[in-house]
Amino acid sequence: MSIEDPYELLSKWFEAKEYLVVGKSVTRSDSIEKAIGKARFLEDYYEPGRMLFVKQLLSTEPHAIIESIDYSDALKLTNIVGVFTAKNIPGINNVGYALPDQPLLAEGKVRYHGEPIALIASWDIDDAFKALEMIRVKYKRLTPIYDPLEAMERKDILIHDEQGSNIAFTTKVRKGDIERGFSESSTIVKNTYKTHHQEHAYLETEAALAIPDIQGRINIISCAQYPHLAQRIVSKVLGIPASNIRIITPYIGGAFGGKDDEGPLVAAKAALVAYLTGKPAFLIYSREESIRIHPKREATIIEYTSGVDDNGYLKAIKVKIIHDTGAYTNRGPYILWRATMHSSGPYYVPNAWVDGYCVYTNKVPQGSFRGFGNPSIQFAVESQMDELAKKLGIDPIELRLKNLLRPGMDTITGQKLDHSVGVADLVDKLARKMEWSKVRRELEDWNKRSNRYKRGLGIGVAWHGISTSRGVPDWSNAYIKIERDGSVNVYTGIVEIGQGTPTTSYRQIVAEALGAPLEYINVVFGTTDAPDTGATHASRGTSIGAIGVLVAAAKIRERLNRLASDILKTNPENIVIRNGRVFDKISNREIRWEELIQEAYNRGVEVSATGYFYLPKGKFDDKIGQGFAYPAYSFVAVAVLVEIDTWTGKVRVLKAWPGLAAGKIINPTQVEGQIEGAIAQGIGYVLYEKLEFGSKGEILNADLTDYVIPTIQDVTLDVEKPVYVEDKYKYGPFGAKGVGEMAFIPLPAAIANAVSHALNKRVTTLPLTPENVLKLIGGL
Amino acid sequence: MFYVLPRFNYYRPNSLDEVLKLINELENYKILAGGTDLLIDMRIKRYTPRNIVDINRINELQYIREDNEYIRIGSLTRLQDIIESNIIREKLPLLYNAVYNMASWQIRNRATIGGNLCNASPAADTAPPLMVYNAKLVVSSINGSREISILDFFKGPRETDLRNNELLVEIKIPKPHIHGYSYRKIGRRNAFTLSIVAIATYVEIENNIFRDVRIALNSVAPKPVRAWSVEEYLKNKRIDREEIYKASELVVKDISPISDVRASADYRRKLSIILIRETLFEASKITG
Repeated sequence: MSIEDPYELLSKWFEAKEYLVVGKSVTRSDSIEKAIGKARFLEDYYEPGRMLFVKQLLSTEPHAIIESIDYSDALKLTNIVGVFTAKNIPGINNVGYALPDQPLLAEGKVRYHGEPIALIASWDIDDAFKALEMIRVKYKRLTPIYDPLEAMERKDILIHDEQGSNIAFTTKVRKGDIERGFSESSTIVKNTYKTHHQEHAYLETEAALAIPDIQGRINIISCAQYPHLAQRIVSKVLGIPASNIRIITPYIGGAFGGKDDEGPLVAAKAALVAYLTGKPAFLIYSREESIRIHPKREATIIEYTSGVDDNGYLKAIKVKIIHDTGAYTNRGPYILWRATMHSSGPYYVPNAWVDGYCVYTNKVPQGSFRGFGNPSIQFAVESQMDELAKKLGIDPIELRLKNLLRPGMDTITGQKLDHSVGVADLVDKLARKMEWSKVRRELEDWNKRSNRYKRGLGIGVAWHGISTSRGVPDWSNAYIKIERDGSVNVYTGIVEIGQGTPTTSYRQIVAEALGAPLEYINVVFGTTDAPDTGATHASRGTSIGAIGVLVAAAKIRERLNRLASDILKTNPENIVIRNGRVFDKISNREIRWEELIQEAYNRGVEVSATGYFYLPKGKFDDKIGQGFAYPAYSFVAVAVLVEIDTWTGKVRVLKAWPGLAAGKIINPTQVEGQIEGAIAQGIGYVLYEKLEFGSKGEILNADLTDYVIPTIQDVTLDVEKPVYVEDKYKYGPFGAKGVGEMAFIPLPAAIANAVSHALNKRVTTLPLTPENVLKLIGGL
Repeated sequence: MFYVLPRFNYYRPNSLDEVLKLINELENYKILAGGTDLLIDMRIKRYTPRNIVDINRINELQYIREDNEYIRIGSLTRLQDIIESNIIREKLPLLYNAVYNMASWQIRNRATIGGNLCNASPAADTAPPLMVYNAKLVVSSINGSREISILDFFKGPRETDLRNNELLVEIKIPKPHIHGYSYRKIGRRNAFTLSIVAIATYVEIENNIFRDVRIALNSVAPKPVRAWSVEEYLKNKRIDREEIYKASELVVKDISPISDVRASADYRRKLSIILIRETLFEASKITG
């Protein structure tokens, strides 16, 4: 028998010393299609007139009882097939991910301006828009609450009556004794930080096309980041078995977490119309609808106290985190949980007391967005570190190096990190390479000579737990089959959202493990035809998500090694398969890959396999606020140089020096793409982007004219080549830990620290728009 | 494709005469030139005109010409043609700078100078340079033509001096004397953005004395405005750093900014002062 045990196979490939294609910058297989405009996105599948066009009726009240919905006039229009509300849902309307608090279509009550109430199905777009104007919703207004601090106090106004409080969820960490910790501290810093919402602003808005087929199934072309979750949600809403629902995913024009939350709901709405009418149904969000409806990056208030002793060692932290979760928790409790567990930053802290509150308000919900609760808390942590360094009179890097986690140390949840902890090496290596101290000194001299413009250098160091939080099960899987001609099909639920995971790293991993030529590998992605692979989120595509691909390929490889050893009359250990050549390294006897596969078919060797892998985890005890939080952490550090025009308040980021300790780097070009994209998105978040809310809690800038994202002319900075510390993680594929979110996470901290350095004033509130910067320096 | 425009009647006349006849008869119409503002405004229902008169076939309104006294720009001239014109770049550098900083190449290839003016947005970016050049706008109707000073053209947000049967046909700019100039546009980002403030500053200097000073700003009042108080204060004064500082503060008398999602009134006031100072320094070639 060949080895089939996934842990054994993973560990065998973990030990690899040389690689054929892993670690190399291979070109993505979708690049030409995308460059010449041939790649198809969801909207490309819409055939006007041949499928129903679905339009959503949205609430124009922030908090109200729905007394009646009158759509009788709309139904008189020629092309209108139906108007559907919560009462038409055959299955379960409740689609809340973390708590059962969110309807697919408003039921009884609306809780934010923009909440979907009804679906209009029309053969024609014009009539859909006409119908929208003809539907009359009668509301009984309730008092809205927009401020999370007020919401926490109020008992007389409840956004969710069934909850009995506007505090939806709480979290805590308790470690050691903070009173003792603070009494041992000689320097204590206390600040309140505020961060704001962020809109995902993906190029492609949300869409879905649901097509009933002849076998009574519903096929859905979906933009969800997790096809199997979309399948589950559709199954629940329609009340039909998941096996009757098939999800496929075309190329997706960006997601960043937004389509992890909204994607399954879009699929469910299109599926509902298709199911009720028996016709194909297409739903697409306009830009305005997309901004009004889908959840946003968390807006937070963070009170943070930290203490260090005379030697610069952290002794205690006390943290209170408040997340404005908006009308529904969506994934808010998970986001808060992650923020809470990361609230020490990647530092050793012996005594910690952390409380988190996820609070309802009558605004757009909070949701998943690159970093998932972590960028805001790392902003607070890293601002504290700089303030402590300043008070102690030592360099910010030096203070960090004293306190960074090292192998064998435990986190604030009391979890010991035994390996894959490269953060101290990373910060040291980055600071040396960029000549941190020299650059800082030169800037301070430059500032003495410059009156109008001031420059600053800041760093953000961060950690990010990989996989789902605490004991929540996480696994990987894939299905691989080798066709008779030697070409290979790989089936995965991981989607292509611009990051290139299925089109680069998966091909590399399979080609590496099988020894087949890279161009023979075809990846069928984003489909429920593959086994449940988990979501394309949490930086897991090329980490946890890829384990299944590696394990499946490794299983087949073991079988092929045995077969080849029979044919070449040698031991399986002597078999080398490299780029389509199969040979015995002793005798150098050789056959071609195609011949080997032909022989497998002839001799009855199975050349298909699944790659199920269950990730071992521990337990977290909510009562004592201690325990296992994450199987491993990726680490990141980014230093930035900024220049501020003190007349206009405008901040420019001139240069960034990124560094990563994310285990094995599978494809350096892909990683650089992620880093550069995250830096651009981070600059947008910190310097440009801000949702403006009106008196009804409505988003006033629900368009790309007034929700300002940076253009290429605003992101003109130099990004240095990243510094890597390959601190391999034993359960990662080849030791990879995950990258996608990383560079975003420390960006708010890094820019805020650089601005604070330049102006000699502590930034505590984001965004750093020119107006806010002028206010900070007292110029407005 | 997933947006719907209100219904309208569509006219596409082939000559200027036809246009003038048509708009003389039509009520409730809008002129379609580049359409880059109009179509969006119709989609958001700012306008729901019953009739659309497409003037894109009137090629006689697309030109840039120079004679002894004037530089003349046809109202249908595309913004991209303006920045590609040597006449504009050499003779009207403020207009060149303003248009160069507008929108994107794709939009500039559609959008027209006449459309930018007649749309009469308080943020119209072609207005400040044309206001400091004291441009004249030639408007025609079936009854003939008349000239309106650009300083009298804007009446308020999206309101102009045009009568219902009149079409803007030409922008006529007196050829400027030798002058110093400086242009700044501050938006919320560096490209494809509406102005928070844009400013065009023009100075004529003789023997270190400001013989003429003209400054215009947009986005800080219901319509683009001249900074008359600043201009009056500096005229015939020696170029002096302190005087420029003092003068720039006076702009608050000339503007009446509002707070909106783009910026607060306070920030717009502050920026106006700073930009006047900065552009005066640059235009008179002294360092701040």
